Formats: sequence, C-alpha cells, structure tokens
Amino acid sequence: MTQMDLVPPVDYSLVPSTANLAEILERVLDKGIVIAGDIKIDLLDIELLTIRLRLFISSVETAKKAGIDWWETDPALSSRAAERALALENRELKDRVAELEQGAARPSRRRVEERP
Amino acid sequence: MTATDEAPVAAPGAMATCVFAVRRGGPSGGLTGVRGHAAGGHVGLLPLPGGLWAVAQDVPAELFSQEALRARLSDPEQLEDCARAHHAVVTAAAADGPVVPLALATLFTDAERARATLDEQQPRFLAALDRLTGRTEWAVKVHVRHRGGNGTEGPAAPGPAASTSGRAYLSRVRGREKDRRARQDAALDAARQVHEAAAGFAVASVRRRPHGTEITGRGRVQVLNAAYLVDDARADRLVAAVRAMTGAFAGVDAHAEVSGPWVPYSFAEVADAGSVADGGIG
Repeated sequence: MTQMDLVPPVDYSLVPSTANLAEILERVLDKGIVIAGDIKIDLLDIELLTIRLRLFISSVETAKKAGIDWWETDPALSSRAAERALALENRELKDRVAELEQGAARPSRRRVEERP
Repeated sequence: MTATDEAPVAAPGAMATCVFAVRRGGPSGGLTGVRGHAAGGHVGLLPLPGGLWAVAQDVPAELFSQEALRARLSDPEQLEDCARAHHAVVTAAAADGPVVPLALATLFTDAERARATLDEQQPRFLAALDRLTGRTEWAVKVHVRHRGGNGTEGPAAPGPAASTSGRAYLSRVRGREKDRRARQDAALDAARQVHEAAAGFAVASVRRRPHGTEITGRGRVQVLNAAYLVDDARADRLVAAVRAMTGAFAGVDAHAEVSGPWVPYSFAEVADAGSVADGGIG
C-alpha cells in the first residue's frame, strides 16, 4: 500500500476560483519564500501599500464604531497602523498637490485658447 | 544541465525569468494549460541541482522592470491579475506534489541567473519542503454581526425622548461603554474559542490583522483571520470542528468560516508553532 492510498492527493482546485482577492494578496505579497531576484521590487512599496491600506486598515475605524477595536490596544499593531495611516495620508496629500499643480497649469492654457 | 522541453525558452534581451515556486517533482501534467502572467511565455520547469525544479516563465522584460512593475502593481486591476496569475501557477504546480511558493514577482534577468540564485538557497528549499510535505494551509475567519451596526445603539440606549440632563447623559454613556465592552469580550472570546479549536488540529498557526468591511461587508466585523498548517490526515477534522462552532457563542452573533486547502504560503518560512503574525498584511 502506498502513501497515496492512505491519504488522497490534495485537491487544490477550489481555492483559486473562489478565494477572494484579499486572501490571495495577503499570501502572495506577504508570504512565500522571499528570494532576492535580479529585478528587485519591494512589495511593501508605498504605492502598493496604499492599495493594501484601503483593503485592510480602514477596518480599524469601522470596527471601532462597531465596538471592536481590540487590535488597537495591541502595541505591535497600533504602531504599525499609525505608521501606515501616516504613509497613506502623506501619499494622498502628495496626490492632491500633484492634482492641484496640474489643475493650476491647465486653466491657464485654456485661458490662452479662449482668447479670440 | 539542459532544460527540459517544459523549460521556458530563453529569448535574450527581451525576456526576464519569473519564478513562482520550487518543488521536487519534475515534468508532469499539472502545469499543462496554465497561462501564468499575461504576455508571458510557456510556464515550465527549470531543473536545479539536488533534484529540485523551479516553476518558471519567461516574461517580457519591459513589463517586468522595476519601474514597470511598481506602476503596474499600483493599479488595482493589474495587481489583481498578477496576484491571481501567480496564485494559479503555484496552485497548479502543487497538484503534482509539495511546492515551496515564492513571493509574487520573483524575477531574474534570465534562466541561468534564476538557476544560480535559487541553487544558493537550496537548504532553505529542502527544509521548507520537508516541513510542508503532507500538509496544507487552511484559513479560518470569524465574523461578528452587530445589531445597529454603528455601536451607538444597543440595549442600554434610552428611548427616543431621552432626558437631556447631565446625569442621564453620563449614565447613557456608561451604559453604552458597558455594552461595547461586553460585545468586545464576547467577540474576542468567540475568536479565541475558534482559534483554539483549529490550532488543536494544526502543527503551526498564524494570526493576521482582520480584513476591513470593504471585504467583509457592512455590519460584519472580522475578529479572527488566521491560517493553520495541517497534516493532510487531520484536515477534515479541523474543517468539521470549525464549522460546528458557528452560532454556538454566548452573547454574540459570530460565524466561523474555513477555506482551503491552500498551498502553504504562510508557512513557507520557518515559524514557531502558534506564533502570532505581526499583522503585516498592511
């Protein structure tokens, strides 16, 4: 009798199609063996972090309102949360500045065009 | 060592090599029909010394440069495509036997560079394969549903024509705080019970930061987001134990969900049994 007779082969087929994105992201971005390749991309890069913040960290506010904010009292989580919230805010402010700068440039062009 | 016919075809200059996983098993049917990253070549196997194989794909270098990747992975749709493509390859590769999953976007300038770098890590792969063989990862989540949903309503809240006196206000605040704490304790207790039940069938576990309501839906708060490394023979028991717990919690409407089997991403690197994740999911 082989091992295969005792333990049926694992069927992974269900997980890729049914798994939600958050479940996949928290595995492929944060887990697995990290090998330094030739092309290095920091998956904790600020841009990526922005997306991930939207998926996860906003839970703190919502959960707090619902009366579940226990992870806020966890020092490890709350310090990271604060850092990330700050990073997000920083990023959003930079985006706003960029938008405003573009916005400031565009109307002046338009004004020129509008002249007869 | 020559590449098998399943190995990615090297196209110098234009292509880079993306590696998804490392395994012991050589060419087999599991990867047939797996697309990998869009615009990439054939997903195949690179032989490594020591009887290991890397699951790899040639991908257009211009789409996988540092700058291109940073831009593409910052786009939610492209991030999702990349993550799902990576996950599909890893999962398909695992159909033939245990694999060690690599993180998303593990890239090399060519197959030779991939082979050389991966070979340097051989002891890590062998240790991981030993640890993961015959085991899979199972995800367990506990969600709590709240009446009112915003925490400002509850049994202690007074009627609509509440007194506006200071004393009544304070008593209302205290009542709300007490309710909030009771709900919190009950939710935590439910999470702990489920975690303990699941961990009893596992060889290792990690707890992660719970998902936000963008994912769980409004009024549904996640209080446990954990993963367990489980011997194949005990997986059914873990699933049954977790499912049996739903709705069985005092003072809280809590539901336990289990998903799996996952390729054991969360346990690819050595971690002590029962270690608590640092909440690094962002």
